[in-house]
Amino acid sequence: MMTLFEKIKTIYPQLTDHDFMTVITLQNDSDGKGDYIAKWSHPEFERPTQEQLDAIN
Amino acid sequence: MAALIPSASATGSGTMTLAGPSTNSNQTITIPDATGTMMVSGNMPAFSAYQSSAQTLSGSTDTKILFQTEEFDTNSNFASSTFTPTVAGYYQVSSSIRMNSLATSVRMMIYKNGTKYKIGTDVNTTVNNGLVTTLVYCNGTTDYIEAYANIGTGQALSASSADTWFNGSMVRGA
Repeated sequence: MMTLFEKIKTIYPQLTDHDFMTVITLQNDSDGKGDYIAKWSHPEFERPTQEQLDAIN
Repeated sequence: MAALIPSASATGSGTMTLAGPSTNSNQTITIPDATGTMMVSGNMPAFSAYQSSAQTLSGSTDTKILFQTEEFDTNSNFASSTFTPTVAGYYQVSSSIRMNSLATSVRMMIYKNGTKYKIGTDVNTTVNNGLVTTLVYCNGTTDYIEAYANIGTGQALSASSADTWFNGSMVRGA
């Protein structure tokens, strides 16, 4: 099963590791709820919708 | 000459005892010219815990690190991989992780009350461990501290007391 990071990279393959260390923050609080987008402030790419993410497996 | 005025507690009925030394030597305690709560080992919380069951982290995701086993927890303030001291003061906290294989990057962080507080190791090169240490104030009631990590290559951490750990101790009272 793909991780949230892998799904986002599938939608936006142009994103770099640097993007994920600066303008995008994925987070997991180890509370059983899994990975989620804590911050998305990329100047060029829109935050992916849940439907877009669910469509990728 | 300064006066020594014992003051009874309004709520407690315990006895205050000044115990003499167990040798024939004379000892002197100098009280500082300041008002505050005297800190002794019994009210200075300290803890140390480590990951004993390997946790797998997704790549490029800030993830709370799990520490299932305690080495010590003097004031029972560590639970669910979270340090919530019940004595107000300043705490030195540190955490380190080690990956089973090289990752493309690592960032170690201390979170306070669910928010990123300080970043330690933050490198974008092949690496297999990370460390963060900081001084943080905790109010003794609601403030809590956690360790988070972000690794570039998703993988399991090395679960051992030497490799993946979290510890801390009060260094001064409020």
